[in-house]
Amino acid sequence: MAGLAEALEWAREQITSRVPKADLDQRDPDYIRDQLPGTWLLASLYFRADVQHLDRIPAEGPVLLIGNHSGGNVPPDTFVFTLAFCSYFGVERPFYQLAHNLVVSAPPLGWLRKFGTVAANPENARLALESGAALLIYPGGDYEVFRPSWERHTVDFDGRMGYVKLAREAGVPIVPVASVGGQESALFLNRGQWLAKLLRADKILRLKSIPISLALPWGLNISDLAGHIPLPTKISIEVQHPIEVDGDDQAVHDKVMASLQAGVDRLAARRRFPVIG
Amino acid sequence: MRVERRNVIEADRDAVWKIVSDPDRYPSFMTRLERWETANDQPPGVGARYFVHWKIGSVPVGGLIELVEFDDLRDLAWVGITGVNLRGRIRLRDAGESQTKVTFRLSYQAPGGILGYIADRVAVGQVGRIAADTLKRLKELVESSG
Repeated sequence: MAGLAEALEWAREQITSRVPKADLDQRDPDYIRDQLPGTWLLASLYFRADVQHLDRIPAEGPVLLIGNHSGGNVPPDTFVFTLAFCSYFGVERPFYQLAHNLVVSAPPLGWLRKFGTVAANPENARLALESGAALLIYPGGDYEVFRPSWERHTVDFDGRMGYVKLAREAGVPIVPVASVGGQESALFLNRGQWLAKLLRADKILRLKSIPISLALPWGLNISDLAGHIPLPTKISIEVQHPIEVDGDDQAVHDKVMASLQAGVDRLAARRRFPVIG
Repeated sequence: MRVERRNVIEADRDAVWKIVSDPDRYPSFMTRLERWETANDQPPGVGARYFVHWKIGSVPVGGLIELVEFDDLRDLAWVGITGVNLRGRIRLRDAGESQTKVTFRLSYQAPGGILGYIADRVAVGQVGRIAADTLKRLKELVESSG
């Protein structure tokens, strides 16, 4: 048992030490510009994406974008929205996204840092907003992104509302970003929180879920750590009106949730079939 | 890629120029326009800048443009400053009595090497339709207000 504990501790240290320190300078606008045509092709032809109301995002200054998250470890909504934001406001406008430690520390995903992806922690979030950038956060994180596919149109942050405090302290508005379609990129069956606890992944890797899904090319996919090939599901995104942080945390959080859920319901109502859209 | 569409409007050049030289009128005839905003305080003319985005494929494509030609009753041309490399031109010429031939050209080039080239090819059909529809709506607008 002592050997197992040591091995787990070693794994934790290996991952923690690989999480890059907050360095906003790693974002590379020229690199993003060069990648836009490829992402545009993927978004337009494969995901038939549709992004609406980007004009609701304040044209300049720092802003906190709060989205509902879907698609497991290959979330199409994130890259479609990043493409849309960079196309609309230009790669010149600083834009960062918070992601799980495992994502930013994985060597094959190093290129994400050039897109402005930084490790999800309050320090990085504050740093980004203080620099005047737009910041995209998915508060639901791994809890929401692995919800069962039959709950695909439910916004669920698991009660997390630290983002409200962040927006209040930075003095920035919150803009909810609603999306649908991502949870149809595979058949997500179970969050696997019981499995995460059993394997102590919640303690070691900050993973509260080890999800179970049916996904290409694996068939039965446990953990989704190696990702999967998403089905060509239609991604629809609708930016909501900005919300000023002028009440207590719970009241603001409730407004954000209501706005997001209403947006998701609207988008879901226009959807006739799963995947096809 | 370069896309060019032409049509003939049953109105003299003055009437057509009055509309194409007025930036406020663009949202009323330019197709699939997602964003059209003045970006500096300059009146319409060389040096005036605008944010322009067309919905092409999944997202708005465009950026900051600047007028580089503003030749009364003849030519209006712009270049893209941010976003994809872009040049555009609206060209007016006489086509007969009380008729104006309007040419709308858009030249664009996405960055990103081979993927940029493929994206350009994929988008060309939609850009062509935007140019054709824009001219059709311009014709309707001019002829209905004449």
